[in-house]
Amino acid sequence: MTKLNCESVSMAAMAIADGYQSELSSDQIEAHLAECLDCRHEIGQLRALSSLLDAQERRQRTESVWRLVEQRLPDVAVARSTSRAWRPFMLFGVLLLGYRLVEMIPERDFGLLFKLVPVVLVIAAFSYLRENPFKIHSELRLEGE
Amino acid sequence: MDDRAAIERCRAGDKDAFRHVVERYQAEAIGHAVAILGNREDAMDAVQEAFIDTFQTLDRIDLARRFYPWFYIILRNRCYKLAAGRKKRETNRSDETEIVAPTSSIRPEDAMLLEQAMLELPTEDRELISLRHLDGLSYQELAERLEVPQGTIMSRLYYARKRLREKLARHSFIGFSEGTGFSEG
Repeated sequence: MTKLNCESVSMAAMAIADGYQSELSSDQIEAHLAECLDCRHEIGQLRALSSLLDAQERRQRTESVWRLVEQRLPDVAVARSTSRAWRPFMLFGVLLLGYRLVEMIPERDFGLLFKLVPVVLVIAAFSYLRENPFKIHSELRLEGE
Repeated sequence: MDDRAAIERCRAGDKDAFRHVVERYQAEAIGHAVAILGNREDAMDAVQEAFIDTFQTLDRIDLARRFYPWFYIILRNRCYKLAAGRKKRETNRSDETEIVAPTSSIRPEDAMLLEQAMLELPTEDRELISLRHLDGLSYQELAERLEVPQGTIMSRLYYARKRLREKLARHSFIGFSEGTGFSEG
């Protein structure tokens, strides 16, 4: 329940003028205003300010930011594509962890094929990367070489 | 092209579709950023950053909702971040107002005084007053835009107007005097 005082009445009166129904009724507000000169003055000033502001318009802008935004979008596009690049690696990680957990089950022998699973996963990872891990990058040279 | 179609194309990497979105909303965005930051240069920076943030988070847009209120939250975050990270710029003393447009309802010198008083307000007050009065947003729309309850909008708007009235009184703006001294609760 809102406490009835000068401030709450002024606030509620302004809210009602704005089309919002506060917790105080119009009757409560009117009754208070009938006896309170300070509030009548306060609300009169704030309503005048509201009317002044309502008569204003936002200045129309003609500037364009597209060129500046566009210059930075290629980087952003790369960032978006690389931001999802971790997902396959996460999958490989989960598979290897699962393998390790299964392997830790005592006195179970899943045979030779099971032992090959990590090798298959590593080959799959390098195939995904399309990169030979043993390749020597001839274009990479030490400075001054 | 409507916003939904444009955003779906943006998600597929179509930059032209994003250009469409930027060009549709840039004027509104710059106007809002100027109202928050108080100067054009910072506003341009914030709007750029907000559009780039938007492009990076297009996947998160709920296509059932309107684009601009969603974008406004990003823009607002950028503006406040910029405002917090920078020292206040010297306000350019020009003959033109940056926030309010020159209209027949007010003399140019009064428009300058009004804008000066608005620039002296705390950022949140200036933002709220401009959204309410220059854009005509209802309490419900303000609550959604600023992500606060309508009751909070009611009290914030009341105190913001009081502070603006006091600034105008100090600038000897005709018709306004210092407040009654109700304390801010």
